[in-house]
Amino acid sequence: MQPLSSSAKDPDTVDGEPRVAFVQPSSYERLRYRLMSALREPTTIIGLLTALLFAYLIVVPVASMLTDAVHVQFGDERRVGKPFGELTVYYLSRAFVSPISSTLFWTPLLNTLSVSFGAILLSFLVGSPLAWLLSRTDMFGRKWFATALIVPYMLPAWTFALAWTTLFKNRTVGGQPGWIEALGFTPPDWLAYGQVPITIVLALHYTPFIILLFGTALRRFDSQLEDSARILGARQHQVAWQIILPLMRPALLSAMVLIFAKCLGEFGVPYVLGLPVKFEVLSTSLFRSISSRQSGVAAVLAGAIMLIGVITLLVDAKLVKEARRFVTVGSKGTMNRLTRLGRMRIVAALFAGTVFALSVGLPLLTLFLSTIMEAPGRFTLDNFTLDYWIGRDLNNVALKTGILLSPDLWNAAWNTMWIVGLASITSGILGLLVGYVAVRTPFRPLATFLRQVTFLPYLVPGIAFATAYLSLFAVQRGPIPALYGTTAILMLALIADQMPYASRAGVSAMMQLGKDPEEAAQIAGAGWLRRMLMIVIPIQKGSLVTGILLPFISGIKGLSLFVVLAVPSTDVLTTFSLRLVDYHYTQAANAVVLIVAGIAYAGTLLGQKLTRTNIAEGLGG
Amino acid sequence: MPTITLHDAQKTYGAGAANAVSNLDLEIGDGEFMCLLGPSGCGKTTTLRMIAGLENLSGGEIRIGERVVDSVRQGIFIPPERREMGLVFQSYALWPHLTIERNTDFGLRLRKVPKKEREARVEQVMRALDIEKYRTRYPSQLSGGQQQRVALARMLAVNPGILLLDEPLSNLDARLRLEMRAELKRIHREYRTTIVFVTHDQWEAMTLATRIAVMNEGTLQQIGTPNEIYDYPANRFVAEFVGSPPINILRLDDANRTGFANAAGRFLDQWQAGSEGAGSLGIRPEALRLSLTAERVPEDCFNCPVEVTGILPTGGSWILELAGEGDPLFMTMHEAPEMELGTKAHLWAKPQAIHVFDANGRRSAAFDRSVRQRAFVQ
Repeated sequence: MQPLSSSAKDPDTVDGEPRVAFVQPSSYERLRYRLMSALREPTTIIGLLTALLFAYLIVVPVASMLTDAVHVQFGDERRVGKPFGELTVYYLSRAFVSPISSTLFWTPLLNTLSVSFGAILLSFLVGSPLAWLLSRTDMFGRKWFATALIVPYMLPAWTFALAWTTLFKNRTVGGQPGWIEALGFTPPDWLAYGQVPITIVLALHYTPFIILLFGTALRRFDSQLEDSARILGARQHQVAWQIILPLMRPALLSAMVLIFAKCLGEFGVPYVLGLPVKFEVLSTSLFRSISSRQSGVAAVLAGAIMLIGVITLLVDAKLVKEARRFVTVGSKGTMNRLTRLGRMRIVAALFAGTVFALSVGLPLLTLFLSTIMEAPGRFTLDNFTLDYWIGRDLNNVALKTGILLSPDLWNAAWNTMWIVGLASITSGILGLLVGYVAVRTPFRPLATFLRQVTFLPYLVPGIAFATAYLSLFAVQRGPIPALYGTTAILMLALIADQMPYASRAGVSAMMQLGKDPEEAAQIAGAGWLRRMLMIVIPIQKGSLVTGILLPFISGIKGLSLFVVLAVPSTDVLTTFSLRLVDYHYTQAANAVVLIVAGIAYAGTLLGQKLTRTNIAEGLGG
Repeated sequence: MPTITLHDAQKTYGAGAANAVSNLDLEIGDGEFMCLLGPSGCGKTTTLRMIAGLENLSGGEIRIGERVVDSVRQGIFIPPERREMGLVFQSYALWPHLTIERNTDFGLRLRKVPKKEREARVEQVMRALDIEKYRTRYPSQLSGGQQQRVALARMLAVNPGILLLDEPLSNLDARLRLEMRAELKRIHREYRTTIVFVTHDQWEAMTLATRIAVMNEGTLQQIGTPNEIYDYPANRFVAEFVGSPPINILRLDDANRTGFANAAGRFLDQWQAGSEGAGSLGIRPEALRLSLTAERVPEDCFNCPVEVTGILPTGGSWILELAGEGDPLFMTMHEAPEMELGTKAHLWAKPQAIHVFDANGRRSAAFDRSVRQRAFVQ
């Protein structure tokens, strides 16, 4: 036996002989080799094509909108004093420093901030005790409440706004009186419209958000940390204040920041409740600029909303990172020990029940009753009617049949189904493709670009994104005809708007699957197409369904994107009901909203059944 | 069956990153059971994946027999699906949506093997690995050990000339692991397959391999039979990585030269030819001996007074902690040590059992030579 084996570690010699230097490949050879092995499979090609598509669907519209903000728009030549297309700061100064900047931007900004902070505070006050009760105590009906209290989030936010007006409307606007007024008390303006109701409605809508995010964090909390404090002699309240709360802070802050980002883009609620008293927030101010065809100012406002959105989410990203630093302690300690409430169980359940009644029961009941009552607020038997649903020859100017018999409803419903449906299927498939490419391409920059570009719409509130689409597709550009007024623009905008969720779902599904099953097929001798058809797609069937269903639900109740881009012939259910609100067909509007809420709720339940997960957590979050 | 030749194979992940594998020359002969052994992150799995074609090279080439399957300079890359190998993944990577039978006959179907032949082949492999009763089940319904067998059966079904195994036993419990080791040895004998096996478990490598390639930080440290690796480690890394409890290392560059370092120095001084440039000295725990008096220590041996400071029974053998000056040494005994804590004794070891490494950690060939010469003269 040789004392030294055939090759000792020595780069310069092999068996004591000088090593024959292997010629290093030149950079040309390296590049050729890399290209050859990368292009051998369609992954990279698909990646490049999708990257191009998203550059056009997402980057170009946003860029086009931002350039609109600093260029003279068509029709503004005289006012600006420069020819069409010249660089200008006119729109910026008009929005930020001119005498009317206060109406255009500053007051709406202030209102947006005060409404959002109010809503955040309120939902925190209601949501965090509920989160604790649901996740760490033995409250009565815990399981049931865990689902029931999330329902408000499954419904469109302006469901509550419409319910509110149905109850509190006063003579400031026309149409039928509100119930309270019909009962003989006239609600003052501050209670009927503007800041107070908007804040309350938004708070009701976003409380589930706190319950979900805070509840999850509480459930994951390592109870060993708590036990260690107890063993050292800390009382329950000391544990709560000195251990749990500080550790929960990032999760709580993150939930609040996300609520703010959502409030920022919220359009329906302030539109319904704010307009009668000229209470404007950023989104409604933007909408007004669009409808009065001030596209330059609209671009500036949309840009500002976008900027605030970006900053907010950067803050959130930082908080999430911090939260991750905290909640690393894992599996074993996360046994969920429940606090025994004793006699307080009933009180707790009463509290949760009240919240449920106020946030789900009351609004939905109000809306439903309002659609079967002739005169509002009069609870006598002869006042009840099904005319607004299925009646004929009603004494109206336009809507002469019950809503279910109106062709407009079915038209809008059909539009909703096929526009949102097709867009969701497309974005679901694109999302899976993006996930596949991002995980599998050997070109890291391509993967990074795809992830980032598909995430971009998340930073842009829907209404600003719609403005961007309007800016790009309102006129013919190159071979692309003017798309405004067509269903194509709705579809494209919807696809782009849904990509953050779709691509995240795709990426995480592909990450979870990992490379191994596909590589095993490759080793067994399967080429690319065969691997896709026999291995990847069959395994990912479930997540593809979720990836389509989730955007579909949020698309159905979505309003802000459609309100800018839809015209009467391309009405979807949400814009149709908003038009009915404008015409003061209260019963019909409420009925349509109920239909939307019903579809969204049913879709969520279906998704939950299909995926056996709590899908509400994934909704729009 | 072909040999696998890696010539100057390199892999870097991105510019500026350290090489995952650098300048690797490796020849794996026909019918060998080659273990790639090393700590995690040493590049052994990357090497395996390069052989399979799942990882591109950054430089160099790979041949199977005379056929170049991968070469940066020649611009050749044969994709994994056309390399005709088998690979068992650490995670097993069974397809969750296919039954055990469909998992097993996947490769045969791709190769358009006639139905009759296919069924016979699947039957045979399934019986050999004792999984025919799970035929209609899905992977999630099987235990880890059963999944492992399916993963193996899936690859054996197509009878590949080369079988690659990426830590396939690491997720099994101790007993199953032992069984599967025996199974693998049987498969290697029966099918005469060339096997390349990646593991970080030296025990596994020792028991299975015909040859072991020890890797660290992307470079090959030593290739040899298990005994060569254990008895003549080419450098300190190999010496310290292989063996449990680990080898005792006595550093000579200790400034004070007290205690063990001093004893090591005195020992080396007897071997003028071998002691130049020596940096450290390694003695395996089982090569150490204890004598109660200095007179009973044989001549020419390394020796040093110590005190027994710890006795650790491991069931069937004992590990003794011995303190002198410097870090304590460990020795293993296979008979119950009949002494108490605090016993003072003389520690010794034969020159043949001593490994000398130079300042760079390389094994000193000069020392080995002079030990052999003296043994010859005597």
